[in-house]
Amino acid sequence: MSGEDRGGGLILIFGSILASLLLVGAYLAAGGSSYEPKKIQDPCQPREWSDPQNLGQIANQFTNSALDGAACQLGVSRETLAQALASPEARERFAERYGIDDEKLARAIRAGLVRAVDDAEEAGALSPLIAVPLRQAVQRIPLDQAIEIINDAQGFLGDVEGFLGPAKGIIEQFLPGGLEGLGLP
Amino acid sequence: MPESPRPRVAALALAVGLVLADSSIVVLALPEIYRELDTSVSGVTWVLVSFNLVIALAAVPAALLARRVGPGRAAAVGLAIFAGGGLACGLADELSTLILARCLQALGGAAAVTAALELLPATVGSERRAATVWATAGATGAALGPAVGGFLTELVSWQSVFLLQVPVALVAAVPILAVAKHEMATKVIEREVRQTGRPHLWANLALAMVSAAIAAALFLLVLLLIEGWRLSPIEAALVVSVMPLAAILGSRLTNLVGDSRSRAAAGAILVSGGLAALAFLPKATIALTMPPQVLVGIGLALVLSALTETALGGRAPQAIHGGWTISSRHAGVVIGLLVLTPIFTADIEEQRHDAINAGTAVILDSPVNPLLKIDVAEKVSERLDDEQGKVPTIGPAFEPKPDDPVERAEVDQLQGELQDQLDRGATHAFSTSFILAALLGLIALFPIALSRRVDL
Repeated sequence: MSGEDRGGGLILIFGSILASLLLVGAYLAAGGSSYEPKKIQDPCQPREWSDPQNLGQIANQFTNSALDGAACQLGVSRETLAQALASPEARERFAERYGIDDEKLARAIRAGLVRAVDDAEEAGALSPLIAVPLRQAVQRIPLDQAIEIINDAQGFLGDVEGFLGPAKGIIEQFLPGGLEGLGLP
Repeated sequence: MPESPRPRVAALALAVGLVLADSSIVVLALPEIYRELDTSVSGVTWVLVSFNLVIALAAVPAALLARRVGPGRAAAVGLAIFAGGGLACGLADELSTLILARCLQALGGAAAVTAALELLPATVGSERRAATVWATAGATGAALGPAVGGFLTELVSWQSVFLLQVPVALVAAVPILAVAKHEMATKVIEREVRQTGRPHLWANLALAMVSAAIAAALFLLVLLLIEGWRLSPIEAALVVSVMPLAAILGSRLTNLVGDSRSRAAAGAILVSGGLAALAFLPKATIALTMPPQVLVGIGLALVLSALTETALGGRAPQAIHGGWTISSRHAGVVIGLLVLTPIFTADIEEQRHDAINAGTAVILDSPVNPLLKIDVAEKVSERLDDEQGKVPTIGPAFEPKPDDPVERAEVDQLQGELQDQLDRGATHAFSTSFILAALLGLIALFPIALSRRVDL
């Protein structure tokens, strides 16, 4: 092999190394090592409530808090639980995979709804007057109804606000802490 | 007047190109076969693995047989078997039948390719020129294979990829039949007088490793484009055409540097660099696959020609040593596919799960009206079920869009974020496999360092 050939060979090898490193380096610098699906949050950690502007936003955050609370109790992610509650078939698959019966699921969802009421109250989205009876009500409701509340928190909260809204002042004045008998869902 | 050798050279080149294209021509048809024959990714991989495995095992025995019965007869019979196998592949309606037919194709192909290398020196006038024609035909076939396969799959069907090979193989066999007839009439089988050198261990080992990396590059990239990013076979064919185009550029560099070890080392480094870049794509964008493909393409042209040259250099008979290089290359493809398939299959499943969770989080955290959200979530869930484990196209789940401009903007944003999570999952699923393939290319540097060319 001639000296010229060796020199050409070395240039080719070092050129290849340089081109490879430059390209890989550029891709890494552009975020190539972190281009993966978003990491999901631990449901046992508190999720911050943003300042809600309307009932829809309250409902969204209420649902998230309820799912977080239930998921934390069941030891699964909020997202896994949300997928499980999407349909009866999904719920069956979830129950089979994680060995969670309806009773255990109901307890967890009720606990989640209590956490949602707590969070909503703390964020100022629910008045204590509504929060107290609501907290007690959700601890007694059957599983299917509890799931319905999570899936349609807006409807649920709308009903509650609609029912209590006009009478809120009077109830606060005259019935502090005594709303269990009002037939809340 | 003596008969012109051109038709025979063209026929032999066509035969070699056709058989070696078959290793890659089916790659873009795999997702379609996967769907139509209702199989798994691992199952459909065997459409590729079986062909390469049989060629790897049969190449050297086929070369020995060609020398015993006559290369003309071996090539003609080989092409006939290859055509029969192609017909059976095109008519197969079950994966097992398709795989068996692929094995038959590979048997015929091994005979045709190795016999062609035995026939070419006498036809073109020199061993060196014969090796060049043989290597160029093989590289051209392998390079054009994916694009041709992609176009046929989309414009006609996956079956047409195989059925079209039947007439082409028969056309290639016609001029070779004259040689076969001559061999039978004279009962004279031309043999190489010289028998020099054992197979070049290091060059063939390096060929196997580099081939594993290159096969992985093509196979994984095609799966990423079609299954992950939802491109059509034609679109994917156009995208992966960058690799052969870059290979043409790389073949020009071959003439600039004479030292084959340097070319082989540079080629292996470029292949590994391109694969590593594919492992770290910063976005699911076609344009970003181009620079890595250019590196892989230039690299494969440098490394394959240099190692084949080293493996064949001064050795005889060419058919036997050519058989060893064919065997090494196809064994490498098999190893690459068998090692990487379970890894990326598991990664795809894991990333799909992560992407669905991330997508669910995006839906839950979105400010979109809760009722609209539930509707979208149900439709996305249906699409996930319909697509049976593949990354779905989620656009239809967002139709019809709300009339209110604020809600519409929120829905558009949700759709974009959800698609982004699915794209991230699909792209990331291939990262580990691309990194492993890059490592295979780098490991090939060891045998390359030991593969000094010795002219015997």
